[in-house]
Amino acid sequence: MLCTLFWTLEFDIRKAVDLKTEALAGLELKEERFWIYRRKIGDFWRLYRRSPLGKLGLGIVLSFVAVSAAAPWIAPFDPFSFVGDPFLKPSSTHILGTDQVGRDIFSRVIFGTRISLLVGLVASAMTIAMGSAVGLVSGYLGGRIDNLLMRITDLFIILPSLPLMLIMASILGKGVWNIIIVITVIGWTPTARMVRSQTLSLKERPFTEASRAIGSTDLHTIRRHIVPNVFPLVFANGMLAIVDAILSEAGLSFLGFGDPSAPSWGMVLYFANTAGATVNGFWWYIVPPGICIMLLVMGFAFVSYSTDQILNPRLRRR
Amino acid sequence: MRDYLVKRGASALATLALAIVLNFFLFRIMPGDPTRTVVGDFRVTPEVRQVLIHQFGLDQPLWVQFILYLQNLFMGNLGVSFQYRGTPVVSIIFGRRLLNTFILMGSSMGLALIIGITIGTIAAWKRESKFDISTVIFSLVTYSMPVFWLGMLIILVFGYYLGSIPIAGTMTVGLTYSNVFEYAADYLHHMTGPLVTLTLSFVGFYFLIMRDSILDVFTEDYMLTAKAKGLSDRKILFRHAMRNATLPMVSLLAVEVTYLIGGATMTETVFSWYGIGRLIYEAVVMADYPILQGIFVVMSVAVITANFCADVVYAFLDPRIRY
Repeated sequence: MLCTLFWTLEFDIRKAVDLKTEALAGLELKEERFWIYRRKIGDFWRLYRRSPLGKLGLGIVLSFVAVSAAAPWIAPFDPFSFVGDPFLKPSSTHILGTDQVGRDIFSRVIFGTRISLLVGLVASAMTIAMGSAVGLVSGYLGGRIDNLLMRITDLFIILPSLPLMLIMASILGKGVWNIIIVITVIGWTPTARMVRSQTLSLKERPFTEASRAIGSTDLHTIRRHIVPNVFPLVFANGMLAIVDAILSEAGLSFLGFGDPSAPSWGMVLYFANTAGATVNGFWWYIVPPGICIMLLVMGFAFVSYSTDQILNPRLRRR
Repeated sequence: MRDYLVKRGASALATLALAIVLNFFLFRIMPGDPTRTVVGDFRVTPEVRQVLIHQFGLDQPLWVQFILYLQNLFMGNLGVSFQYRGTPVVSIIFGRRLLNTFILMGSSMGLALIIGITIGTIAAWKRESKFDISTVIFSLVTYSMPVFWLGMLIILVFGYYLGSIPIAGTMTVGLTYSNVFEYAADYLHHMTGPLVTLTLSFVGFYFLIMRDSILDVFTEDYMLTAKAKGLSDRKILFRHAMRNATLPMVSLLAVEVTYLIGGATMTETVFSWYGIGRLIYEAVVMADYPILQGIFVVMSVAVITANFCADVVYAFLDPRIRY
């Protein structure tokens, strides 16, 4: 009840802001626009703060960011050097024991945060960029290009992503950047679909038509009138893209496509599997990296859920 | 109805054509000699290589290669495997492995579907009860877990600590069976681990969709009518709500096949299940490109057909779709 009230309220504010943005669009008052965007972000934050799940998710994500930033100070050992006998059990010096060549597992998990986060963020950013570009072009231009692009999108949506990623990874070879490229090339389609449908509807709105009528170029219309209106949804969707990217990275690294010089959590699990940790009962080698993946994924999923509740007009009115 | 079928069919064929084109070029963008991915491996004997070069026109321009590739494809020739020293790809894919994967995927999908639909219906009926909240949390947890990690945990707990499931393989090596039941029992015993892993990783998805779908149905007018008629709760729930809410699941089933193949690849690798998923992994590790190319084609045909079938079934069940 309260929610509905507060959504309608927020909706009115937003409508007012939108109207003002439109009115100002022709005037080129850059400074004014800056304050409008700032207020929009402020509005968003005020709404976001009320969602307990959103706060929990943000808390989880930020703590992982903190861990990855402070990794050299938190980790007791260097993740690459051989600091003890192989297969030591957990003790006070080695909290999670050592791996098959005597590296400290706890330190490796701490440093793994960096790679997992980095790949998740960079790959999803690239996924979003590529998907948005395709979606904008496809939706705005329409016609044959739209047809072809959407066929390709259909194909990528329909094909199983993991085997496709494996095939691509085997062609490109090992390495962190190759994993990022693979995730991008395979994962851009949902964003493209969403951006296209948004663009199609925005194209017909009066303000885009007005912009075309006064002789703006296509690029200008896209940049000033379509992108700002598509952005909120892309942003909410981006959080889920991070989730997918983190899980894909973990899977690819687990299957041995990671870069041994940049170990992620998936990579730690890969080594655990090759060392036979499951059949020997080394729970300390298996459980912690997986829990980290799970928590980070949950964190981003919560953030995505709360963001979607605020930014997606369909959900807002429910 | 006929127009709809023709339209969907044409679109499915177009997607398939695109998949085949992609498959051809994907394996030729690799740096170096383009013939490398088809025959250029030390594991293929020179005689076989000569035959293949002729068959696939590898000494000719790209467009000739493409036409020959299509021709071979329609005749069921997918080349020969590197790691199995020249065995035709077709006979490797269509055999024991495909059957094993079908059995594993089919049974886990069926199980996940039955459990998901039942629990989803109950959770929606008792919305915001303890049961509802705990099942939602459970499905969130299984969604966030990487499939392979779930498999590792199951091996650790049930294989290592409890010793109740075999840790790897499809059959016990070196065991002889006196009758077919012993064979089946051993097979099922080995399947428990991967089956539980796959089912757990997908049940959450079905559950959430079903729960949402039922909640949607509850707002419909006919639910009020059913209640006003004085029907019992059970009848309302299972006769009216569940049947209508299951409809969207049909179209999701096809989408799920896509995800299931990915999940099966992971699960089969972790449990050393002798199936197509493990074959993909092995082929990738062994750089066995002809196998990968073959699997790509078979996989594309499978998922595109599944999607087409789902469209048809859905249109059959829900006349509104046909326009």
